[in-house]
Amino acid sequence: MSHAAEFDEYGHKDHGHVIVSLFTLRFILIALLFCTLLTSGTAWAEQLVANTFHVEIPQWINAVVALSIAVVKTALVVGFFMQLKYDNPMNTVIFVFTLVTVFSFLGFTSLDLGNRASIDRFKNVYAYPGGNLSAGGAVVPGAANGDSIVAHARKTGKPSHHVDRENTNTQSITDAGFLREEPATGSSPNFSRPIGGVTVPGWPGYHAPKSAHAEHAAPAGEHKPETGHDAAAPKVTPEAKPDAAPAAKPAH
Amino acid sequence: MATIHSHPSPAEDLSRPLHERYHAAHHFKDREHEFDSVKMGVWLFLGTEILLFSGMFCAYFIFRLMHPEAFLGGSHHLEVKWGLINTIVLLMSSYWVAAGVRHAQTGNQKWLQINIILTFLAGAAFLFIKFYFEYAHKIHDGLLPGKYYSYSGPADPYEPLWWGVYWASTAIHASHVIIGMGLFIWIFLRSRKGHFGPGHYNAVEGVGLYWHIVDIVWIFLFPLLYLIH
Repeated sequence: MSHAAEFDEYGHKDHGHVIVSLFTLRFILIALLFCTLLTSGTAWAEQLVANTFHVEIPQWINAVVALSIAVVKTALVVGFFMQLKYDNPMNTVIFVFTLVTVFSFLGFTSLDLGNRASIDRFKNVYAYPGGNLSAGGAVVPGAANGDSIVAHARKTGKPSHHVDRENTNTQSITDAGFLREEPATGSSPNFSRPIGGVTVPGWPGYHAPKSAHAEHAAPAGEHKPETGHDAAAPKVTPEAKPDAAPAAKPAH
Repeated sequence: MATIHSHPSPAEDLSRPLHERYHAAHHFKDREHEFDSVKMGVWLFLGTEILLFSGMFCAYFIFRLMHPEAFLGGSHHLEVKWGLINTIVLLMSSYWVAAGVRHAQTGNQKWLQINIILTFLAGAAFLFIKFYFEYAHKIHDGLLPGKYYSYSGPADPYEPLWWGVYWASTAIHASHVIIGMGLFIWIFLRSRKGHFGPGHYNAVEGVGLYWHIVDIVWIFLFPLLYLIH
């Protein structure tokens, strides 16, 4: 302390530096150790409750509780051990800005994870080292065993802008065996976008969608479900009789 | 030594310890200016450190959402007690660092050096537990990431992903602990020469901040890796 006083005379001031007392530091340490035991304790208690009452506690509860305590511990370390509480606010700005960046990483990642299948269904598959389909990855219909999704798409598909939607033998490279079910009207609860080009009837390039009426009309006209079922019923019964007869013989 | 200072400075008095004779670099106005700049530089570096580890936390987030069973199964191979002991070891070391900075500020050379040694030993204890009780067993059982995974017991097919996250995050954290221990050797040698005192303790403060960030990363890794159930 006497040093600091001497230095003031020469213009070397330590006025900006807060010296945190050992009492405060020890108090913070005890709080941190308590929080650590609390984290382990809650995890242990959750397991005990789950085993005793045979209930399944969802994983997110455990994760949220543990991470909340971790955030409190971080605040204590950053505020007192790293002295951000007493420090130049610019350092706090740097720290908070970093955290905002980290949350943007996590935020965009979760947006991606939540919307994987909405455009290309083949993207809604597990990541697997090497993308080797024979090792438990996604099953692509018609793919040679061991072909990756990409390899299969290269062999069978065409770039998406070359897709001829009238010819079902070709498929988009992004479909890669997962041909999307195309709603007849161009929009559905899952997809709300034009399918196969212009959607305004009469405009150049407009293809009438396979409407629900057209698909239902043809089968309904050829054979009626009720009559078909009735006609099949008498055929089944005579065939069943010879099977039942040998089973009945030993009883007599 | 020629000086551009207009006033007689204690820096010229060779009987004084080094930390009192310390001159700020010529591009700083004074020691205070230098201290603030150095500290802000360290904080910027710590920001990049947080971003480095955030990549691993993102990977954890993605793969745990996609394969919760693999993470559950993988986590059960870890022993909570070692994670808990290592957490306590690192928290204690963080306290010793913070107290060490305080001793530097008050010019208590003896306790500054004791605290640096205690922190170094805590880091060594952390690494010993990590390598001897944890890594050695995982390597022996073949619980390794990606294609090196060769565990013979029953496991979720995606468990190699969990081990990838586990090894990457804990190994990079452990490498930070090793680097931190090296820095504490440097701090200790300099403190033996009397480099640090009330007027000058930039390096103690900077290395201390680095050590705290390493501690904070572990504060998150411990529940995320060991306490899944």
